[in-house]
Amino acid sequence: MKAVFISFYQAFYDEVIDVLDNLEIRGFTYWPEVQGRGSETGEPHYGTHTWPTLNAAVLTFIEDHKVKALLDAVHQLDLSAPQQGIKAFVLHAEEA
Amino acid sequence: MSLYQSSVKKPIMTALVYVAVIIIGIFSLSKLPVDLFPEMGENTIMVFTTYPGASAADIENNISKPLENVLNGISDLKNITSNSKENYSIIYLEFEYGVDINEATNDVRDKLDMFNSMLPDGANLPFIFKFSMEDIPILMLSVQSNESTDALYKILDDKVASPLRRIRGVGTVSVAGAPQREIQIYCDPYKLEAYNLTIEGIASRIAAENQNVPLGNIDLGSETYSMRVHGEFSSAKLMEDVIVGSFNNQNVFLRDVAIVKDTIQERMQEVYNNGMRGAMVGVRKQSGSNSVEIANKVFEKLPEIQQSLPSDVKLDLIANTSDSIVNTINSLQETIIIILILVIFVVLFFLGRWRATFIIALVIPVSLVSSFIYLFLTGNSLNIISLSSLSLAIGLVVDDAIVVIENITTHIERGTKPKSAAIFATSEISLSIIAATLVLIAVFLPLTFLEGMVGVMFEQLGWIVTIVITVSLIAAMSLTPMLSSLMLKSDPKRGKVFGTIYKPIEKGLAKLDKGYSNFLKWSVSHRSVIVVSALVLFGGSILLMKFVPTEFFPVQDQARLSISVKYPIGTRLETTRAFGLEFSEHVKKNYPEVLMCNFSVGQADEDNAYMMLSDNGSHIISFNLRFKKKTERKRSITELADQLREDLKKYPEINSFAVTMGLGMLSSQNVDIEVYGYDFEKTDKFANEIADRMRKVPGCTEVNISRDEYTPEIQIDFDRQKLAENGLSLTTASSFVRNRFNGFIASYYREDGEEYNIKVRYAPEFRQSVEAIENILVYNSSGAGIRIKDLGTVVEQLTPPTIVRKNRERMVKVSAIVGEDAVLSEIVAAANKELKQMDKPADIDYKIAGAWEDQQESFQDLITLMLLIVILVYIVMASQFESFTYPFVIMFSIPFGFSGVLIGLAITSTPLGIMALVGLMMLIGIVVKNGIVLIDYTILCRERGMNIKDAVVAAGRSRLRPILMTTLTTVLGMIPLALDKGEGAEMWNSLGMTVAWGLSMSTIVTLVLIPILYSLFADFGVFRKNRKLKKLATT
Repeated sequence: MKAVFISFYQAFYDEVIDVLDNLEIRGFTYWPEVQGRGSETGEPHYGTHTWPTLNAAVLTFIEDHKVKALLDAVHQLDLSAPQQGIKAFVLHAEEA
Repeated sequence: MSLYQSSVKKPIMTALVYVAVIIIGIFSLSKLPVDLFPEMGENTIMVFTTYPGASAADIENNISKPLENVLNGISDLKNITSNSKENYSIIYLEFEYGVDINEATNDVRDKLDMFNSMLPDGANLPFIFKFSMEDIPILMLSVQSNESTDALYKILDDKVASPLRRIRGVGTVSVAGAPQREIQIYCDPYKLEAYNLTIEGIASRIAAENQNVPLGNIDLGSETYSMRVHGEFSSAKLMEDVIVGSFNNQNVFLRDVAIVKDTIQERMQEVYNNGMRGAMVGVRKQSGSNSVEIANKVFEKLPEIQQSLPSDVKLDLIANTSDSIVNTINSLQETIIIILILVIFVVLFFLGRWRATFIIALVIPVSLVSSFIYLFLTGNSLNIISLSSLSLAIGLVVDDAIVVIENITTHIERGTKPKSAAIFATSEISLSIIAATLVLIAVFLPLTFLEGMVGVMFEQLGWIVTIVITVSLIAAMSLTPMLSSLMLKSDPKRGKVFGTIYKPIEKGLAKLDKGYSNFLKWSVSHRSVIVVSALVLFGGSILLMKFVPTEFFPVQDQARLSISVKYPIGTRLETTRAFGLEFSEHVKKNYPEVLMCNFSVGQADEDNAYMMLSDNGSHIISFNLRFKKKTERKRSITELADQLREDLKKYPEINSFAVTMGLGMLSSQNVDIEVYGYDFEKTDKFANEIADRMRKVPGCTEVNISRDEYTPEIQIDFDRQKLAENGLSLTTASSFVRNRFNGFIASYYREDGEEYNIKVRYAPEFRQSVEAIENILVYNSSGAGIRIKDLGTVVEQLTPPTIVRKNRERMVKVSAIVGEDAVLSEIVAAANKELKQMDKPADIDYKIAGAWEDQQESFQDLITLMLLIVILVYIVMASQFESFTYPFVIMFSIPFGFSGVLIGLAITSTPLGIMALVGLMMLIGIVVKNGIVLIDYTILCRERGMNIKDAVVAAGRSRLRPILMTTLTTVLGMIPLALDKGEGAEMWNSLGMTVAWGLSMSTIVTLVLIPILYSLFADFGVFRKNRKLKKLATT
C-alpha cells in the first residue's frame, strides 16, 4: 500500500481526476485550495496579490502495482503543461 | 459559486441572459424619442397684471415693486425681472433648472393670493403664464399665393390648419400673415353729422337687423310647428338697405351715409416669402410630445394637403427644428459607428487574434444597449448628451474584457484547458478590474450631483457612463470567460493571409517593447533629467493658458438666422415693407446659400401668443432665413451673420437691428452688461457710452441696448371741467374716439359656420389727420353734439419706455454679440477694460451677465466637482494599494493630462468650454487607470523579489501593450468626435479634442515619469527602512 500525494494548479482538477478514473483508482482525498511553491523553479501558488494562483492537492492510497502507472500518467500530464508544475510524491502507507 | 464560475459552467444560461438584455435594449431604443437635449423642463413663470390707464412709472410703483417684494421669497428663485409698461406689468420669475415647476407655480399662486388685497383699485387680478420651449413652433411653413390672398385665411384655416390639428401630439396651429375676412362699414362723418347719426347708433341698428328671432309655436291641424324669423344677412350687400334713421320724415338708409365692403381686416401682419406675399403657418407641439415624430407626421400629411389647395397656393418650409435634431443625432450616430470600428481595429492590432477580438467586441453592444434601457426607464430621450456619453464609453467598456482575455490567454498558453483557464484567470484579476472600474465610477457618478442647467445636462452623462462601465465589468466577468472557454483554443494558429499581414505588426510591437524597456533602463539611471524635463513641460504648458480662450457652449450652426430690424418707432408699414422687399431681394442676389427668406412686418394679431411675445409693430421687420446645410456650404453661420450685419449697417435709416443665430440657448453668445440705477437719464447715458465703446471692440459684431427710446404718441387731454359742463364722462368721450378710429364691432356676419366681424367706423380717408380727431362729435345724454376740440386738446407727446427691473432694481442691458473668430472671454476682458476706464456715477452699478455669468457659475461647479473627484479617486486607489504614497505617485499624471489639454487647445485654437471641462474630468479617470496598471505591476514585480530598478523596467515592458491598447481605444475613439464636421458637431469637437490630446500627453508622461517617480519614492522608502533597522541594531 502506498500513499500518492499529487499537488497541482487548481485548474487541473478535471485532468487529475481523469487520470485517477482511468486507472480505476476510486478512493482519494482532495483539498481544493492549498498553498505552496516548487522546490526548484516552481512558481509560488499563494493566492495573494503577488502570486495569485492557488494549488490543489489529492492524496490517494493505492495498491503498489498501480503506483508506477499513476506516476507515469501524472508525469505525462506535467509534460503537457510544464510551466504549471504538476507533481506526485509517493509515501509508504499501512492499511489499518 | 462565483459569477465567472457559474457562467462558464452554464454557457446557455449566460448567453441567453445577454440575448435578453440586448432584446430589451433594442426594444427600448425603438421606443426612445429623439431630441437635441435632455428634457430641461420649464424654468420661467410670468405674472401678468393689467392696470388700465396707469403709466409705466405708476405700474412700476404700484404693481411691479410690491409684487416683486412678495414674490422674492419663493424658494429656488434665481432671478426676478419685471417689465412695467403702460397699462400692464409682466414679472418674469426665473427658477433654477430642474426645479419642479408645478410646485413653484403653486408657491407663486399662494403669494399672489396674499397680494391681491393690496392691489390698487382698478387693477385686475394678476394671472400666471408659463412659457416653455413648447411655445416655440417646431415647424414654420410658408405659404405663397398670387391670387387667393383675400381668401387665404379661410383656405389655410380649413385646408391646412384643421387637418394638422388633428394629428396626435400637435398643439396649436396658427396662421399668420393671412388677412381675416371682415365686413367693413365705412361711414362719412359729414353725412352722419347732417343726418344726426352716430357710429354707435348705426352699429346697434345693424345688430338689431342681423338676428334670427324665434316666434313661438303654432298648431296646424294635428301638428305643431315652430315659427321664426330668419333675419341674418345672407350677403353683405343687403346691409346697405338697412334703415339707420330718419330725417325730415324720410328714411335714411345705410347706403346714404356709408359704404359696405366685404373685405379683409385693415391692420395686420404681412408675411413675404422669398419676396412674394403670403402667409406663415406655425405648428406647435403638445407638451411632452416628440418633435421629430410630429414633424414627420406633418410632412407625411403635407402632399395630401397641398393637393387640396387652390393651384396658386404653395406650401414650403421656413424652419424645422426637428430637422437639425435629426441631422445632429444622425451625424453623432455615424461617429459612434466609426468609433466602434476603430476600437475593434485597435484590439485586433494589439492582440492579433480574431477570436479574442470578437469576444471583446461583443462586450461593446451588450454594455451600450444597457444604457438604452436606462434611458427608456427614466423617460429620457436619445440626445446629444446621451449619445456623446455613449461614444465616450465605447473606449472604456473594452478595457476590462481586454484584461480578462489577456490573462486567460496567458493561462491557456501555459497549458491550462480553456474552460479551467477561463474560471481561474478571471478569478485572479477580478479584484483589480473591479478596482479600476470603481475609479471610473468615482469620476462619473459625482457628475449626477451637479445642479442647475449643467446638472440637467450632465446627469445623463454620469449615469450612462456609470451604468455602461458597470455592465461592461459584469460582462467581462461572465460573458467574456464563458465565450473564451468555448472559443479560445489551446494551440491558436493564425490563418495564412492574416499571418502574413500580422507578422510585421508583431515585429514592430516587439521592437516597441524593447525600445521602451531600453529607454526605461536609461531613465532609471538619469532620473533628474526626466523629472526636470517633466517640470519644464508642465510649466511651459501652464504659460499656454493665456492663449486658450474660454467659452460656455460652442455656437451651433443650425442653418438658420433670424434678423429683427427696427425702424424709428411710428414708421408706417409701407416704408418698412419696402425695405423688407428690397433687403430680401439683396439677400437672394448675394447669398446663394439662402433657401428661404421669409419676413413679416406689422402689428401681430391678438390671438397669436407667440407673435405677440416677440417684438412686433409696424416699424419692426422680422426676417427668418433658412440656409443650406452646414456641410453643403462654405461660409459658416457666424460668417454669414457678420456679413449680413455689415450689409444692414449700410442702411442709415435703420434704428437698430439684431441678427440672431438659430434657436435656444446654444444659438449665439452674448456678453450682457447690466447697468443698474434708478435715474433714467444717468443710466441711459452710461449704457450708451459703454455701447459706443463696445462697438469699437474688435470681434464684437453687434451691440444692443435693451431700453427703448421714448415713443411718440397722440394724446387727447380732456378738460374735466368742460366734460362735466357738457354732461360727459371721460370713458364716454374716449369710447367715441375709439369707435370712430379703431372701429366698433356691431355684429357678426355668418357664413358656412364661420363668423366674421362687422366693423363700423369712419372711412379711411377721414382718419388721416389730427383735425379728424378734433372734429369728432360726442353726443351727451340730452342728444347735444360737442366736438372733441371743445372738450380738450389733442397733442403729440413722448411716453417713457418700458421700465425693466431685475432683482428689484431698474436695469438697462447692453448686449454685445460675439462674432466670428472672437470668443466670449476676450470680449468680457475688453468690456471690463472699457468699464474701468469710464467714470461711473456713484448711484449706478453694473454687472456682466448673460452667457458669461452662466459660464462662470458652471465652471465653478465643475471645478469644485473636479476636486471632489480627485479626492474620491485617491480614496479608491489608497484603499486598493493600502498605501498613501503610491496613489500620490499615480496622481502625478493628472496635471500632465491638463498640460496635454492646454497644448492641444492652444494648437488647434479651440476654446475651453463646458464640454472640454467634461473631457478633463474623464481624463482624470482614464489617466489614473493607466497609472494603476503600471504601479500595480511594479509592486508585484518587487514583491516577487526584483530590485526597484529591475521591477520598474520589467513592469514597464510587460504593461506597455495593455496601456497602449486601452489608451488607443479611447484616443482613436475621440478623434472622430474631435474632427467631425457634421451638423451639431461643434458640441462634441472640444470634448474629443480635450480627451484625445490630454490622454495622449498624459499617457506618454505616465509611461516615462511615473516609473521614475515610483523608483524615487521606493528608494526613499528603502532608505528609511534601512535607517530604522540601523537604529534598532545600534540600540
